[in-house]
Amino acid sequence: MAKTYDFLFKLLLIGDSGVGKTCVLFRFSEDAFNSTFISTIGIDFKIRTIELDGKKIKLQIWDTAGQERFRTITTAYYRGAMGIMLVYDITNEKSFENIKNWIRNIEEHASSDVERMILGNKCDCDDRRGVSRQRGEQLAVEYGVKFMETSAKAGINVEQAFFTLARDIKAKMENKLASHPSKGGGTQLKKNEPQKKSSTWKCQLL
Amino acid sequence: MEPSNPEDHVGSSTGENSNQMPISDDVKALLTDARTNNKSVCCERCDSVVLKAGDASLSQVEFFLPHMKKKTENQRPGDGETLREFWLVGDMCTFENVGFSNTVETTKYLTCADCEVGPIGWCDVRDRTKFYVAVDRVSHK
Repeated sequence: MAKTYDFLFKLLLIGDSGVGKTCVLFRFSEDAFNSTFISTIGIDFKIRTIELDGKKIKLQIWDTAGQERFRTITTAYYRGAMGIMLVYDITNEKSFENIKNWIRNIEEHASSDVERMILGNKCDCDDRRGVSRQRGEQLAVEYGVKFMETSAKAGINVEQAFFTLARDIKAKMENKLASHPSKGGGTQLKKNEPQKKSSTWKCQLL
Repeated sequence: MEPSNPEDHVGSSTGENSNQMPISDDVKALLTDARTNNKSVCCERCDSVVLKAGDASLSQVEFFLPHMKKKTENQRPGDGETLREFWLVGDMCTFENVGFSNTVETTKYLTCADCEVGPIGWCDVRDRTKFYVAVDRVSHK
């Protein structure tokens, strides 16, 4: 079957439990509608399609759900990841402090050129805010990564955050392609290219 | 020989030979000549696009899926129905937007990526080339 997209990016959401990662990725949903079946077994990952500068990009987004202690997230989880969203909760100081530990974990286990971005989630909860916006920005500057405050619940900045991360990965990849044209495209897939079963990590998820 | 008037047999199939199950007119109306979906496959609750037109083909297999909606007060999570018409996709990256549940035995259930309603379909982790979306559990636009 012909390829109908230009890039495929694997993204991870990382952060303490309770910071709303699930909501960031898995847009806030009203459980009342849902049968208990899906919420009981839980969601493993999602595929989303976005368009950036005329290119069709498939995002494969994974949440750490259920294994969010640093020591349980190791190399296997990071394998193939091209972007990581580090999420804390602006009402939870501890989750902010832990971002540094998460970054250390990433440096230890993930590929060194993975794109990172810090998100301060729950910015709809300003009355309970424990971490100022400035501190978030400062931390991001310290690590040389981008920063955004988001509200998964109110739908603020969530899509922009994914677009920003995807744009940075795409730019990085295009740079790489430009400087090492002989290496071929790794994960860049040309339209109508015949499907190759062996191509890197493409869709080898299950 | 196939019966000439398929609608007489809708719902009466035993499913023992999936190739010969008649296709209802409702489903026929969703097909191109090549048996692919002639419209986009969308979430029936939030309209999120699951598959674009032409990206899937009709497959008649029998598979039991737990209910999406709570039908009765004493419904248990595993209660459901056997479905027989599915949109079949050969590569998970063909999906526009979709969620994959954690694995139950060898099954991953598919959900809407936006509102998470589901199961709208399934796949078997032992076969990475077959992903099924239940025709009955999505809308076509």
